[in-house]
Amino acid sequence: MPGGASTTDARVADPSVFAPARPAKQADGMQNQSKAFAIAVAGWLVPGLGHALLKMWGRAVACFLTVGVLVFLGAGMRGNIFNSSGVDAFDRLGYAADLGTGCFYFFARAMESQGPDVSHANGDYGTRFLATAGILNLLAALHAFEAARGHKA
Amino acid sequence: MIEASEVRLSHFQSMLLFALVISIAFGFLSRRRPLDRVKYILWSLFLFLVIGIGIGWAMYPFSK
Repeated sequence: MPGGASTTDARVADPSVFAPARPAKQADGMQNQSKAFAIAVAGWLVPGLGHALLKMWGRAVACFLTVGVLVFLGAGMRGNIFNSSGVDAFDRLGYAADLGTGCFYFFARAMESQGPDVSHANGDYGTRFLATAGILNLLAALHAFEAARGHKA
Repeated sequence: MIEASEVRLSHFQSMLLFALVISIAFGFLSRRRPLDRVKYILWSLFLFLVIGIGIGWAMYPFSK
């Protein structure tokens, strides 16, 4: 059809016809990135919240319970909860891992009123449980981030 | 302060609980369908236990 062909030709000849669409798409992408980032931060602060915001209820409950059980057991076994005044790299790494549990970090500190006891195997296991809880929660937050970006999850 | 009674577990109980909790988390995060999740959880738990006990036995001669 001559009319249709001429319209297409005009668009091909003048790329500015498509120009308004690109900023809108970029803004949409930025908004999605910001939303995904906010979901990841929410998932880090409260285990499972990131997935709950995406309406992935099973994963949300699983994340909350698994991280919660690990923190409860770790603190109950009197594992070492690292703080910001670490003296070496391992302490700082342990602190980063423990912080991964988000708000459960403060729960663990409140629960472990007698302080850590790593003179027994139980306390040593507890330290690992706490660190694993943190890393697992960070993994879950990353998973929620990817899911929010629309990647296969 | 939250007062909680101290949890005392044996080595095997600790390993079992750790393996179970991590397997459940991995199963839920990596699979969508319930049946796939159950399969993944059981397989992961089995591997955790077999490899854990295997490494324990492999280290046994050096523990003396």
